[in-house]
Amino acid sequence: MRLLLAELAKLRRPMTFGVAGAAALFCVLLAAGGARNASPAAQGAPGHLPSCAAAGVPAGPRCARWQADARARQRQVAADAAQVAAQLAPGAAGAEAAGLIASLPGALAIALLAGAHIGGEWSGRTIKSLLTQHGRRGQVLAAKLVSLWLAGVSLIAACWAPLALAGPALARANHLPAGRPAVLHGLSLSGTQAARALLVLAAFAVIGLLAAVLTRSATGTIAATAGTVIAMLAVAALPGAGAWTPATWVQAWMGFPAGLGSVTALPANFWSRFISAGGSPPGQGFGLAGLLALVAAGLTAAVLIFRRADVGG
Amino acid sequence: MTGVLRCAGLTKRYRGVTALDGLDLEVAPGQVFGFLGPNGAGKTTTMRILLGLVRPSAGRAWVNGRQVPDPGGLAGVGAMIEEPAFYPWLTGRRNLEILALSGPPLPARPGVPDRVTEVLGQVGLGAAAGRKVKGYSQGMRQRLGLAGALLREPSLLLLDEPANGMDPAGIAEFRTLLRALAGGGTTVFLSSHLLAEVEQVCDQVAVLRAGRLVEQGPVSGLATARPAVRAVVDPGDQRAALALLAPWAARPDGLDAVLADGADGQAVTRALGQGGVWPHQVTVRRPGLEETFLTMTETASPEVSDATAAR
Repeated sequence: MRLLLAELAKLRRPMTFGVAGAAALFCVLLAAGGARNASPAAQGAPGHLPSCAAAGVPAGPRCARWQADARARQRQVAADAAQVAAQLAPGAAGAEAAGLIASLPGALAIALLAGAHIGGEWSGRTIKSLLTQHGRRGQVLAAKLVSLWLAGVSLIAACWAPLALAGPALARANHLPAGRPAVLHGLSLSGTQAARALLVLAAFAVIGLLAAVLTRSATGTIAATAGTVIAMLAVAALPGAGAWTPATWVQAWMGFPAGLGSVTALPANFWSRFISAGGSPPGQGFGLAGLLALVAAGLTAAVLIFRRADVGG
Repeated sequence: MTGVLRCAGLTKRYRGVTALDGLDLEVAPGQVFGFLGPNGAGKTTTMRILLGLVRPSAGRAWVNGRQVPDPGGLAGVGAMIEEPAFYPWLTGRRNLEILALSGPPLPARPGVPDRVTEVLGQVGLGAAAGRKVKGYSQGMRQRLGLAGALLREPSLLLLDEPANGMDPAGIAEFRTLLRALAGGGTTVFLSSHLLAEVEQVCDQVAVLRAGRLVEQGPVSGLATARPAVRAVVDPGDQRAALALLAPWAARPDGLDAVLADGADGQAVTRALGQGGVWPHQVTVRRPGLEETFLTMTETASPEVSDATAAR
């Protein structure tokens, strides 16, 4: 516990605050863009349909078809607006935050934090001092991993808090419908997604830890972690990759919609749009098992490598 | 086993390059022990092995009676290896507090409420403790590194070039501090290139060359152990003088002098006179530690740089 406190104290650094600030800004800007995308006014979909004559459509079957298409478009716009308004409700914004942090933006943020917090121990040559104070290397890695994971978890809060504050204002400014889901329902959704994100963040943190142990530098850790996550997505984008890629485990565990279903006015994640929608996706249980195996394998490899490694610098 | 630090056949090879070659060493408690050698001799590699940072290729080492890298033995060791490194965005005090949190609890002593404050004062950094380390000079970083090494009141202190970047007053304070620590029972294992400092502060020294121990003993004995007689002769007589003094392993020294191992000036003068070579001047030279060190290590050919070896 003392070692974990030491690691958490080291995380109080400009890099951590910068990443958290960037995450908060990203979430708010994304929400602003999403609210604008879903705004009925911006969609040019007023409440009443003009007559066919006013729209220059000849009477008859063409007019009926045009009116049906226009009503369907209006319903879609209204549904999008209601959906985004629901996503931006303070209680439900946690689900949006969890989805964003448990996908590519969060993975890149973890890569930066892993580089600074773990790889930086080698680049800054402080790893010697740390190991001369605490010779049990497995415990050192465990403290590093948990502190990095907690930093990732704090990014959900860093995204959720500004979304909860700015969401209602953005909804009003873009004339999104006022009807909101029940607060308890929103909190329940947020809690579920945030809880699921904990495991995904642990997987990202383990990848960062392993990258640090292998590359032994800050920039190497950032590049290797980000590269690994992007490679995971690239592999999952291949048709027929099926259930055997870590990226699909993340998608299944988080319950992200597949393929184009994930492309909405306000994206709930930046992950599933990269994954091939073909084939049968794995179930949530399979995703959970896959992620647990990934965490266990990554952690074991990191500990084995670090225990045997010479520490120079 | 009585030594607070012991190495037996300690060997380290990096991809076929031998950095340390069968080092046998024992350091008794309560002394300041100098560890000398040219760059690449294996000093830092030895220290890293003793701290459990590097695994030896062969041989074993013991610290405080426990085989390295037993964390129990290392708990009583304070260390500063090469230029000390810190978290630059934190203050000097916060860096030490984090070091303290990273290991076992600090020793508690009656009347000393805060060990961090105590060591900061001990190394003369009390006034600068609240400043961020990124604003520290190299000498201040060395002092902070020393404070970190002293934090747990170690029974063994491993210091690698600790006086780098310190001003003369700082070096003098540092020397006094080391002697005080040794007086209090702490063993100090000191690697340094400042031979004058080593000569003043150390009780014993060991000299390493190309990963091998070439000499070990008391500083006073080592510094005067190799006297030489220097005889100045006519330049034309130098060759004859070398032949006459061959039993003393004579060698030329410039164009008109010869150097003979040993301290018996009378015997050298007699040998030269009996051979018809009359010296203009005969002096017995007792080299200091620096000259002895250079003589012992002059054939050194660094096989590997300590600074890069462990990467």
